[in-house]
Amino acid sequence: MTQAMQRAEPAPREVPPSPGNEHIVEAMNRRYDAGFVTDIETDSLPPGLNEGVVRWISERKGEPAWMTEWRLAAYRHWLTMIAPEWAKLRIGPIDFQTISYYSAPKAKYKSLADVPKELIDTYDKLGVPLHERAKLAGVAVDAVFDSVSVGTTFQKELADVGVIFCSMSEAIRSHPELVRQYLGSVVPTADNYFAALNSAVFSDGSFVFIPKGVRCPMELSTYFRINAGHTGQFERTLIIAEEGASVSYLEGCTAPMRDENQLHAAVVELVALDDANIKYSTVQNWYPGDENGVGGIYNFVTKRGDCRGARSKIVWTQVETGSAITWKYPSCVLRGDDSVGEFHSVALTHHHQQADTGTKMIHIGRNTKSKIIAKGISAGRSQNSYRGLVKIEKGASGARNYTQCDSLLIGKQCGAHTFPYIEVKNPGAIVEHEATTSKISDDQMFYCRSRGIAEEDAVSLIVDGFCKQVFRELPMEFAVEAKKLLDLSLEGAVG
Amino acid sequence: MATGFLEPLIAEGATLAGGQAGWLGRVRANALAQLARDGMPAARSEAWKYTSLRALAQRAYQRGDSDAAGRSIDAGLLALPGVDGPRLVFVNGAFRADLSRIEPIDGLQLHTLSQVLESDADSLQGPLSRSFDDAADVFARLNTALAGDGPVIRVAAGRRDLPLVHLVLIGAAASTELAWHLRGIIEVGEGAALRVVEHHVGESGQAHFGNLLTQIAVAAGGRLDLLQVQNSSESASLFRRSEARLAADAQLEMRSIEAGTAWLRHDLAVTLAGDRSRFVSRGVFALRGRQHADTRLDVRHAARDTACDIVWRGVADQRSRGVFHGAITVNPGADGSDAQLSNKNLLLSAQAEIDSQPVLEIYADEVKAAHGATVGQLDEQALFYLRSRGLSAQQARSLLTLAFCRIAFDSIENTALREHVDALLLERLPEEVEEFASEGAPA
Repeated sequence: MTQAMQRAEPAPREVPPSPGNEHIVEAMNRRYDAGFVTDIETDSLPPGLNEGVVRWISERKGEPAWMTEWRLAAYRHWLTMIAPEWAKLRIGPIDFQTISYYSAPKAKYKSLADVPKELIDTYDKLGVPLHERAKLAGVAVDAVFDSVSVGTTFQKELADVGVIFCSMSEAIRSHPELVRQYLGSVVPTADNYFAALNSAVFSDGSFVFIPKGVRCPMELSTYFRINAGHTGQFERTLIIAEEGASVSYLEGCTAPMRDENQLHAAVVELVALDDANIKYSTVQNWYPGDENGVGGIYNFVTKRGDCRGARSKIVWTQVETGSAITWKYPSCVLRGDDSVGEFHSVALTHHHQQADTGTKMIHIGRNTKSKIIAKGISAGRSQNSYRGLVKIEKGASGARNYTQCDSLLIGKQCGAHTFPYIEVKNPGAIVEHEATTSKISDDQMFYCRSRGIAEEDAVSLIVDGFCKQVFRELPMEFAVEAKKLLDLSLEGAVG
Repeated sequence: MATGFLEPLIAEGATLAGGQAGWLGRVRANALAQLARDGMPAARSEAWKYTSLRALAQRAYQRGDSDAAGRSIDAGLLALPGVDGPRLVFVNGAFRADLSRIEPIDGLQLHTLSQVLESDADSLQGPLSRSFDDAADVFARLNTALAGDGPVIRVAAGRRDLPLVHLVLIGAAASTELAWHLRGIIEVGEGAALRVVEHHVGESGQAHFGNLLTQIAVAAGGRLDLLQVQNSSESASLFRRSEARLAADAQLEMRSIEAGTAWLRHDLAVTLAGDRSRFVSRGVFALRGRQHADTRLDVRHAARDTACDIVWRGVADQRSRGVFHGAITVNPGADGSDAQLSNKNLLLSAQAEIDSQPVLEIYADEVKAAHGATVGQLDEQALFYLRSRGLSAQQARSLLTLAFCRIAFDSIENTALREHVDALLLERLPEEVEEFASEGAPA
């Protein structure tokens, strides 16, 4: 039995609410540090969606005709689709005609030096190094502000080793052959409702190309920021690692506090050729809405990695603490023989947040291996679901999967759910799944309290231990941020 | 939309319901209206994700068997070693008094639904008024509309030490493909205890569709042990739904052995409605040929300190497909719930498939809930060990596979009955060993 189960071993008994909970009550008014709005002149498309809007975005970005046609085909297909309803989520109706599909700071920036101070300050406040600090941090950053990328650092240093790291718009202009070859090859335009919408209206995103044999010399990172109201963010990320290449990529996101629900429907495609290695880490901190469930981001994202080559490896690590609704399944298609897929996830929901997240591991090649570690924490009145698919196709002899899902409940009004799907068609495969659900045990709490640790700190300590397996997979800077975020998100969860 | 399968059955149901007044007529008419409105579940219905209804929907079965009363049945078919108590026998959906054995036993009522509907219909109004509002429950709706008979077993409060009740459902050879619908009622009174064997057998070669819906109620402190031995004909299709509701301190222990049928769907829905009630389920399916078996468990903890303990094993060989869905829901306020589920499967052929879906939905925090599922092969080291002791490859495989399945029924106290189940499963284990490359750690 796993750790979490052992904790729950003693007979459950009531914990009396500790007296003097003022600090907890105070903390209930949870702060969202990234909730400010940057006052900057923007160039926005009026709300509404039609072919004209799709053409306008494409034209605005100076795209070639094939790209415009690609978008239009996606849009026409999207019109024939209906919004999926199978998730364990309560989603208010989304009126796609009230969303503005393009919003960008008015001015054009030639280089990072031209980016106005307000914008640099925005990223500084969020702790994202865009300027001189960037050199110290040693992480190359692509900063996406509403619909467009406002700057990418270290482009030159990366170019010296042959790595292409730029905004998607720039990639379509400067490397159309690569974009044309790979865009939509992992997540086709008609893949699902939100992927089709994204294909039609995506405005920017990051493009990464690591040529054969190159180990990317630094961590790459994109920071997504939604600023303008009544907009949606639809970005598209494409990462290609050629034979023997390797890269570690980080993604972070925040948005201002607003009463409306803003839609974020991104698509991320990863392609790993023979012996390539891609590590994709996300710390998602979109505005989760207030404690009454008003406002917050709808985070409906399609993320998929294609282990196309033999012995390739894709690792997804995610820490999901934000968004009113998180609905995503970063997946791996294990096509190449001996390829490896991993998924490590911490999803925390509080107040009225909802999450339906997990992964898909599709084993096609021989001796493919996958590992899934998913930790769900639900507090307040939130609902947190793990949903995952492990599929072993006929030809995947010697395939191996191990899945572990643990849920932690904090409070009486939240829910934690597990919906795994296991489909095995090859007798040479071995698939194991285990899941547990429990609360923080009274014994553990009592022990911590008896050692003089405050209730909130004890919860934080125990939750940290619960998530350790996943945090270990994060790059160091991110692990520290993720831990801080988790503490902040859990404020007021006890009592 | 009516289909080839539903149309004739709905038409039969309409003539049946026409002459009925009162609540039963209304319940049946309502089920028929729902069937006519919704038809078969949509192809993407989540409840039927791994079991296609397309082939079944195109077949037309004739309702009931008018010759059921006169069919001669081999006594060997009925016999179950170690079981010689009261017996209720249904052949092609019709009660056969001549084959049954009903002696008056104090506190134990053994009747048929049609008898009770004539003498004391209102006592059945509760269970029979159950309405199925989900379009996925198409067969339960059919059962509601069409089942006119079935076993009714009732135990008076406090009665214990009763003989084992043997319930036999036989699919006998007939000249046409027919469908039968039976509704079973089992009620265990306060503090009472009962043991029942639900035994499905069939004559080979006959395609028919069987539909048995059993409603179980165990009152406070009562206990029911239900053993299901399903060895229907390998050309039969069988739908079973076992619904149970447990009051405070009540216990239900079920053991399900699924060996026969071409197509099987077993819905098992248990509500732990009273504090400290407990449900234990042990089950195994052993499939070969083109058999398809889909077990769908749905356990709801609706009261405090309730427990469920579920262990299922699956073996799929040749071109068969085994599906296991085990959902456990803990309602808000059902504190102290303890839910454990384990589902392990052996996939023995490259043409077979196993789909497993353990689900937890937890809405209370004072709970212990865990599930585990695996799909794999026999332990190569264990095989090697057995071969080193002189067993043939086939013997070693059979022995290990049987040991794997045995957890489902090794707690049956009746030795003769347990050995019978052993033999039944052993007979179904692979005869020829299919070699395939297996690497890495053993299952």
